[in-house]
Amino acid sequence: MAVIIELLGWGGKRQRYFRVETRSVTIGRGYENDVVLDDAHISPNHLRLDAASEGWQLTDLQSLNGVEIVKNPSSPSAQILGSDSPILIGEGAEIKVGRTRLRILSDNHPVDAAKVLHHLEQDAGKLNRLSIWLPLFLISLGVEIAALYTSSFIEWQWKNVFSTILSTQALLLFLALFWGTMGRFLRGESQFLSHYCLILLAGLAYSLADLLIGILGYNAGTEMIILILSPLNALLILAFLLSANFALATNMMPRQRWISSLGFVMLIIVVSISAQLKGWGEFSPYPDYFSGLEVPALQFASAEPADDFIANFDMIFTEADRLAID
Amino acid sequence: MSVDKNTLHRQFGRLTALLITCLLIVFLLCRPTSGFAQGNSARTLFADNKAGILQIRIIDITSGSKSAIGSGFVVNDNGLIATNYHVVQIAASKPEQYRIEYLSASGAAGSLNLVDVDVVNDLALVKITSQTSSQTSSEIAAVLPLAAAEPAIGVPSYALGNPLDLGLTVVPGTYNGINQTSYHPRVHFTGSLNSGMSGGPTLNQAGEVVGINVSTAGNQVSFLVPVAALQQLVAEQQLRGQSVDNMALRIGQQLLADQEKKFAQLLSLDWPTIALGEASVVNELSPFFRCWGGSNSSSDKAQLLNADRTCRSEDNIYLNEKFNSGVIEHQFFWLETDKLNAPQFYAYYSRLFDDFAPGNKAREKDVGDYQCDTQFVAVNNAEAKPQRKTKAVFCARAYKDYPQLYDVLFLQGTVDDSRAAFISHFTLAGVSRDNAKAYARKFMEVAQWR
Repeated sequence: MAVIIELLGWGGKRQRYFRVETRSVTIGRGYENDVVLDDAHISPNHLRLDAASEGWQLTDLQSLNGVEIVKNPSSPSAQILGSDSPILIGEGAEIKVGRTRLRILSDNHPVDAAKVLHHLEQDAGKLNRLSIWLPLFLISLGVEIAALYTSSFIEWQWKNVFSTILSTQALLLFLALFWGTMGRFLRGESQFLSHYCLILLAGLAYSLADLLIGILGYNAGTEMIILILSPLNALLILAFLLSANFALATNMMPRQRWISSLGFVMLIIVVSISAQLKGWGEFSPYPDYFSGLEVPALQFASAEPADDFIANFDMIFTEADRLAID
Repeated sequence: MSVDKNTLHRQFGRLTALLITCLLIVFLLCRPTSGFAQGNSARTLFADNKAGILQIRIIDITSGSKSAIGSGFVVNDNGLIATNYHVVQIAASKPEQYRIEYLSASGAAGSLNLVDVDVVNDLALVKITSQTSSQTSSEIAAVLPLAAAEPAIGVPSYALGNPLDLGLTVVPGTYNGINQTSYHPRVHFTGSLNSGMSGGPTLNQAGEVVGINVSTAGNQVSFLVPVAALQQLVAEQQLRGQSVDNMALRIGQQLLADQEKKFAQLLSLDWPTIALGEASVVNELSPFFRCWGGSNSSSDKAQLLNADRTCRSEDNIYLNEKFNSGVIEHQFFWLETDKLNAPQFYAYYSRLFDDFAPGNKAREKDVGDYQCDTQFVAVNNAEAKPQRKTKAVFCARAYKDYPQLYDVLFLQGTVDDSRAAFISHFTLAGVSRDNAKAYARKFMEVAQWR
């Protein structure tokens, strides 16, 4: 029976492992050891493991800094091993030598069943190509410039919009870098361009949906549609984007991923509602009417005769009376 | 030739000398007399009438000190005192916090009760509280007679009051007749009225009240409430014989009656129009409407033409320091562009469309929130083919203390042209439902893109 010695990194994640076939294993910085570790705080001959009937007998070979038992299934209390008293450690025990954490396992230690590769992870991973990112980037740049151009009613000057375009793109780049770095740490692959593509796609989808919602609200003649659908659109797209980012950058299961991203969206909702609560029901001397206008080509709703409009005034007056009583 | 010229010159010179001498004689003859007359009138009027003119003080009950002052004067033997509504308004609406007191020229003081108001003309009648009346009625018994006829323009008159709490003061000035640019009649008085003189009388040389000091536009342009309004109020009070118990109800009725009369008059008119771009808009409806306009047509950098015309009626009714009513506003915009494309033009247009507000100020305790409705409205115009499609907004807020009265805001903008737009807008303050509807109907018929 071989012994597996795992070198643990940040968060208890395995960085590398050693497999030793002999019944007795020596660990230290010296090259004569079975497991050679590069840590200045580990003595040349630090400890020895001897196979026992249930686990291993751990002997400190008079090391300078000793051996700390972090987790031991055989005896749950953690302790520092004295020099001459060997201790029995069980399967899955974790020890700390110098600044290095090790986990001791037998080679028949069970591992988790393989996880299904989610199609989102498969598909999103395919975005990690310059040939996909570049056209997306150019499209989103074009959309932003077009949006700025069509909403500008002063003389168009490129110098006036450079800073706006730069700051938007810098923000997107920063987000992609953040997720890329996260992926590098958590999964060992950055998928930087995939994240960048996802962010650009989400931005485009949001812009398109927001435009459609604006047109819908304008034709319906009520701001309520826009007030409800517009934040809904933003939050929904954000939830999808976050979930995809999590899939690429972390090892989360789909359910965890969705809970995390929806939780984040919920947090935004709670924060924004509580921020608006301050002004809730406050008196305003100014009328709050729906002032949105769209170009004639986007106006589909039919118009009513002026008499019908004036006949509706009574409803407004009645409602105004009710507001004055409250 | 030269002799002739000289003679002519000499003759002309002699004529001029004669003329100057004559003028000098006239000037010397008249100046001392008129100066004497004016000085004498002012002095006599002041001495004769100071007993009838009181300082009205609003006393904060908690601190016991005065928080505002005005003036007032005795109008009949029953000790009825006239002043401005705006002087006593705060005490009328918060009797638990403020009381009204008077201080006569002789130093007598006592408290006053509010008897009646004419909110439309900014008048109030107060009376000495019964327990103090016996001891002081003799000291302030000097009744100021109200003039029966309106004086001629140019008649010297004298405003009395307590400017800036400096003590009883007389301000000589000129009666300039009833101002035609205000819906509620106001006398234009050329003389300096200052705060604290509000509610004091303006007298003619005979010592009769010709107006009640009410406001100033600065630089000797001041306004008086015509004495006829006070006569009416005093007559109504004598008929009733007692104080009005429910002041809010009384004010509400006055406001309702006033708007009924005003809108009946305005709606019966044939509204004059004037061109603004391709639209025709409402011109000055009556003398008390004042219109201004402007455009950016001279600007080279402008991407679009923006011409506007704004009219405002001068008939503010003071209800309290943060709440006024009565004003009517019309506003029109003509927008046109050949440089901007449709989305750019509409980006500007929708920003402008967002920017309309009521013409009067009000607080939460006075009015409810605005309730609004937005619709696409086809403008029915036989001449224009096809019909114009517009986006119309109507908002209303109700008065809390005066039922059946509303502030309304109407806004309409065309939405069927990519490069031009016409916005028409009005606000009415203190209007009934029916008048608001009738006004909107007439306004939509008149203000149109032809």
